[in-house]
Amino acid sequence: MDRENRAGERGVETLRNGNAAAERREEDGARTESDRDPDTERRISISFCGGAPFLWRAGDIKRAREEDGVVGALVGCLARQPRQNVRLGRPLEVLQEEACLLLERRRAAAVQHKDNQKNEGSRLKAVQVYQARLERSYEEQCHLALEDKKAVLQRVMNEEQNDHSGNGGTEQAVRERLSSLEKNFCFPRSAMAVQLCTARAGFGHCPEEFSFLSTDWPMPRDERSETRFRVYRDLRRKGFYLTSAGKFGGDYLVYPGDPLRFHSHFIALCLSMDEQSPLCDILAIARLGSNVKKTVLLCSPRDLSDGEVEGEVVYSSLQWSGMV
Amino acid sequence: MAAKDTLTEAVQVEFSNELLSPPELLHARSRNHKIPVKGQKDFLLSGSEQQRAALQKSLDEHWTLVAEERVERLGNLVNAEWIPEEKLVKLQTPAGKFWQTMGFSDRGKQCLLPEEALYLMECGSVQVFYQDLPLSIQEGYEQFLSPETVTLHQYQVFGHLKRLGYVVNRFDPSTVPTLYERQLNLPLPRNKQTKHLKRKHGNSPLGSRLFNKSHCDKRSTLPVEETKPAQQCEGEIMTVDPRLDQTAPDQAKTEQNPQDELMEFNTDLDRAPRRNWWTDTSSQVQHTLGQHTSARPWDFSCIRFPDLGSSRAGHACLAAPDPKLLPGALQVGECEVTPWLRKLNLKAERLSRREWERQRERDRYHRDINNDREVRRCRNWAEYLELMEKRRSHQFKKRPAHLWEQDVIPLAQPGQCDSHRDLLEQVSVIQSSDLLHGASRLPPSEQWRICFNVYQPDTVADFKKSHPGKPYTRMCVCSFDGPVPDLLVMKQLSFQSGDVPVTFAVVDHGDISFYCFKEFKLPTDIY
Repeated sequence: MDRENRAGERGVETLRNGNAAAERREEDGARTESDRDPDTERRISISFCGGAPFLWRAGDIKRAREEDGVVGALVGCLARQPRQNVRLGRPLEVLQEEACLLLERRRAAAVQHKDNQKNEGSRLKAVQVYQARLERSYEEQCHLALEDKKAVLQRVMNEEQNDHSGNGGTEQAVRERLSSLEKNFCFPRSAMAVQLCTARAGFGHCPEEFSFLSTDWPMPRDERSETRFRVYRDLRRKGFYLTSAGKFGGDYLVYPGDPLRFHSHFIALCLSMDEQSPLCDILAIARLGSNVKKTVLLCSPRDLSDGEVEGEVVYSSLQWSGMV
Repeated sequence: MAAKDTLTEAVQVEFSNELLSPPELLHARSRNHKIPVKGQKDFLLSGSEQQRAALQKSLDEHWTLVAEERVERLGNLVNAEWIPEEKLVKLQTPAGKFWQTMGFSDRGKQCLLPEEALYLMECGSVQVFYQDLPLSIQEGYEQFLSPETVTLHQYQVFGHLKRLGYVVNRFDPSTVPTLYERQLNLPLPRNKQTKHLKRKHGNSPLGSRLFNKSHCDKRSTLPVEETKPAQQCEGEIMTVDPRLDQTAPDQAKTEQNPQDELMEFNTDLDRAPRRNWWTDTSSQVQHTLGQHTSARPWDFSCIRFPDLGSSRAGHACLAAPDPKLLPGALQVGECEVTPWLRKLNLKAERLSRREWERQRERDRYHRDINNDREVRRCRNWAEYLELMEKRRSHQFKKRPAHLWEQDVIPLAQPGQCDSHRDLLEQVSVIQSSDLLHGASRLPPSEQWRICFNVYQPDTVADFKKSHPGKPYTRMCVCSFDGPVPDLLVMKQLSFQSGDVPVTFAVVDHGDISFYCFKEFKLPTDIY
């Protein structure tokens, strides 16, 4: 928001939908955390790539984590240092269950880009807007670079003056350079900084995107995913953070706090109530769990018709009991 | 989506909030390039102020990193254009350093595959335009990745390996050298590699390819049934299974088995005429047998030992080769050897006393096959093979008839085995099988295929796209949601991969684990 204000002061024109965006931002500012209305607040946009739900905007990712405990996994190259795997960058791939929860709470909208730009005229116009923006950016950067250089020389000059060493020659030289800078300054176009946008920038390609309702959800909701979702939702309600546990042979890794700072305590395995499971499988995963210092949780959502209200999901864990 | 338009609603997306202003762009050039260290994680939530502060610090660093946008000098960027029809990205300005390991040229144009272009976009090296407008990374993901190019999972593996410094190429089954090519250490033809990028990942019938390739008579128009025995004979010339004769000695001799037929003599004088290196005119044995195997190109009874060099060679002419054996329209006539012979030093070798002694010393341990009288009497390969066969069967002559001339025969013979291991191998009824056993006959799988060739980072310096050499490993991409590869799949993939190991990259919601299956030989301590 701060950035946008600064940009406004400098008279940078916001793109097409700039006005609408500014209005919405004012609303955002007026609203406090407590009276959030899911219908009016700006929703997090989830877009799909190869069937997987992705969050692309830094703001969305931050809100999803801070307000909804959606952790997900960053899968792109980090802008600052792209060629390493220790810290990754946007996009954030979220679990199907995380996306479902966000949609269920009406905190997010599944967004699909619709390419309805068949019209040559509007394309040309978009190209013009983009070119003009680039040109403006170049001029402004040129101006800013000159100011920068001047400021440096000015500072050198001031230091010389304060020095009182009596060496007027260098001061004179700096003064000359300052005046010649005014005339001869050249900011090569290749030195101009350009942004490679991470999220869709809407350079006129198609400014609208469309959300679709959860009935059009790209993933079919079968019994298994329903079980997983109910377990996810229940653990989330209890305040745990969850990530995927594929490499531990389970469904979720369960963290007591933000995974950035905490080790996980449990490996959650989602099983529906009436599902049969071979004993050796249970033993194998319990063994694995104790090897990585985690407790294996078998999580089964209760039958909805049961009428019990003790809790939606039954959790059990396996313990070796030594009989001496 | 068109049908569901009624259900959709337009969403205003704030495009502008992640666009940087010119001062921010300039400022980004001098930003910090270090990645903050994560530090030890805690196990328990203590609720202490210290823990809370540490978390806040980590989160702040995290959000700074995540929110950072890519800013590059225009001069450092390579411009390119996305061509959706060809699923390619064509460069508009000269390529950068990445050209050493990525991209290919198509009719003089520098091109990148979609996954390469997307990775380079993420690295801030390439700016891709579509319809004169730059694509964001999001648009790159949504437009470049598809089942026809690479899938999201495949791209995630590609990116993971690229970030680690590996050289990663798409895998094309037709570039794998066949077993035969590997045995001969044949260099790969150049065009095979450069063209492979344009080719589709068709499932070529690998089994038959291997068979055809390994025998030079690919061009022959003979029906398969006819060529096969000949091929077998050629391929197994030195390894004729002695057990075959052991189990059915009479059968093999009497029946007109094509294999035996080939070993029969053919002394039709037109085809295998007069004299050659190994025989004296005096000791020539005449064989006249009816079987004429003229239909087969590789008829060993007709392929004579060449007779050059010998001063006794009466004729100075090499007969014209059988046109059936020659490729295409090639015509080769008789070869006059006299001028060549004149160039040879035909004088008898004169050895000094010491040389003579040394040679005798050598000969004591090493028997020259040419000194064998019976071998010298052979006039062609068929006769030689016959001789070898005769000698082998001679060994079995003294076997007691009541044991060996019935349906059920002993598994081993006394005196045949040198060690316990030999004996155990002979009496083992169930042969142990290795991973590649029978794999050449399996049809290629629809669901499973190898995606990438991976070359180690330390080879990047002298990596050549036209001659990539042998990969470090090949990648097969799958997911935890999908099935586990079964033995059939493993056989197919490792056969397809040739002598390069196959690694399975399992993608789990952005997290990638690598697995490989290794054939395990149980240790034996019997020798």
